[in-house]
Amino acid sequence: MFGYVRPALDKLDEENRDRFQAAYCGLCHTLGRRYGLVARMFLNYDLTILAMLLDTRCDSRACHCLVHPIRKRPCACQSAALDTAADLSVILLWWQLQDGIADHGFWKGLKYRAASLLLRRAYRKACKLRPDFDEGTRGRLDELSRLEQENCASLDRPADCFARLLAQASQGEPDPIRQRVLEQMLYHLGRWIYLVDAADDLKKDLRQGNYNPVALRFSHAEGVLTEESREELGRTLDQSVRMMAAAFELADFGEYEKVIESTVYAGLYLVGAAVLNGTFHQKRTRDKQ
Amino acid sequence: MRDPYEVLGVPSTATDEEVKKAYRNLARKYHPDNYHDNPLADLAQERMKEINEAYETIQSQRKAQNGGGYSQSGYSGAYSSGTYGSYYGADPLYQRVRAAINQGNLNLADELLNSRTDRNGEWQFLKGSICYRRGWMDEAKRYFETAVQMEPDNLEYRHALDVMEGRQSAYQPEGYHAMTTTGCGNDTCSRVCGTLLCINCLTGGGFYCCC
Repeated sequence: MFGYVRPALDKLDEENRDRFQAAYCGLCHTLGRRYGLVARMFLNYDLTILAMLLDTRCDSRACHCLVHPIRKRPCACQSAALDTAADLSVILLWWQLQDGIADHGFWKGLKYRAASLLLRRAYRKACKLRPDFDEGTRGRLDELSRLEQENCASLDRPADCFARLLAQASQGEPDPIRQRVLEQMLYHLGRWIYLVDAADDLKKDLRQGNYNPVALRFSHAEGVLTEESREELGRTLDQSVRMMAAAFELADFGEYEKVIESTVYAGLYLVGAAVLNGTFHQKRTRDKQ
Repeated sequence: MRDPYEVLGVPSTATDEEVKKAYRNLARKYHPDNYHDNPLADLAQERMKEINEAYETIQSQRKAQNGGGYSQSGYSGAYSSGTYGSYYGADPLYQRVRAAINQGNLNLADELLNSRTDRNGEWQFLKGSICYRRGWMDEAKRYFETAVQMEPDNLEYRHALDVMEGRQSAYQPEGYHAMTTTGCGNDTCSRVCGTLLCINCLTGGGFYCCC
């Protein structure tokens, strides 16, 4: 479900690109320190954004790691916000795996069960540290699976479950104004991620007979949305991105300001367009090569 | 009170023109239109007030320094808050619904609305507003569409639908220019852009076009 949220790197100067890199590496190191090597393997861009939203300062140092053994990379130093982001990440990843197990049969579910086994210890620790977040996540996912069973045709209702799930991550913020801003941003980030993911999985879900709200809401031909449906879905995604941008302007995001700005004013639009045009995965494969 | 120059993000040595430019940029960012029906509208309104005060303070300071020679040319005070209130709808139930939405009490507003069986354009519009406040953008849009179909001449409903369809120019920082769908170039879009150009001429800038 994760990996869609990223800044538009071409809109950033080198200093800010380094900050994004530092947040990514910082979260990875924090996961490693708190939860061991296994947890680090699950890191993705969406969790990095969560870390940047929760953290405002970016003291970084250059360091090595297994993936970058030769050239040193900028890496954010340890902070309470990164610790929180790491704990929440483990809980989110765990429930994502459980969802994978529930959605797949024995053979296809094997990889999820294997991953889940590897992450079990980390999850138990994170769960002890953030019991409220874990309970809230479970509650929202239960609501979501009820809607799935009902084959709910609304786009907003299932998206709302996932959006509220992510919005909970703002609960630890002590400043009440900042908390409201984060809650609103995370709500719409969650809504956006859920819908983009549903659009991205459209073909696969139809093939496998899985629940997919985009398929139920919009007209499509064998998993390809009609031009009109694509525009309509694009507009509702845009609306969430605009709400995120409007909220973003109301709080101080310190050192990460430019990175988050490029995410909510360009990055999300680019990824959304790529998913709707069906070029998202092609692009990702190209990036890797 | 914070230093007015700090509020506008310019050094105290900035020229009048630079101060005005910074003020306009911030005013566009926190404009009530960008936060209409937004759960964070109150925060934006506070920012707007702070920016207006800072601009006025700087202007009067400079005016005093220049011996009254400085002519005021901004548009401070031109922005008013965009909350509900002065509507012609006379139905007392709908007024209570509007009040509940303004206070952020969406469950009450929804309950009140559901008690009404006769569903006119205003009912559809208010239902859409509740969805919008909750972040349920797809359902909000569908209610606004029905409201506009039922009462095509109502500007309030039409405005709400325009916002949902991205026909209202939202603030974007310099250098950003994006949308998910490339729906630009169609008739509606060029019409709206044409209108915006006119508004640009009348107000001396301050509006972004989407294409």
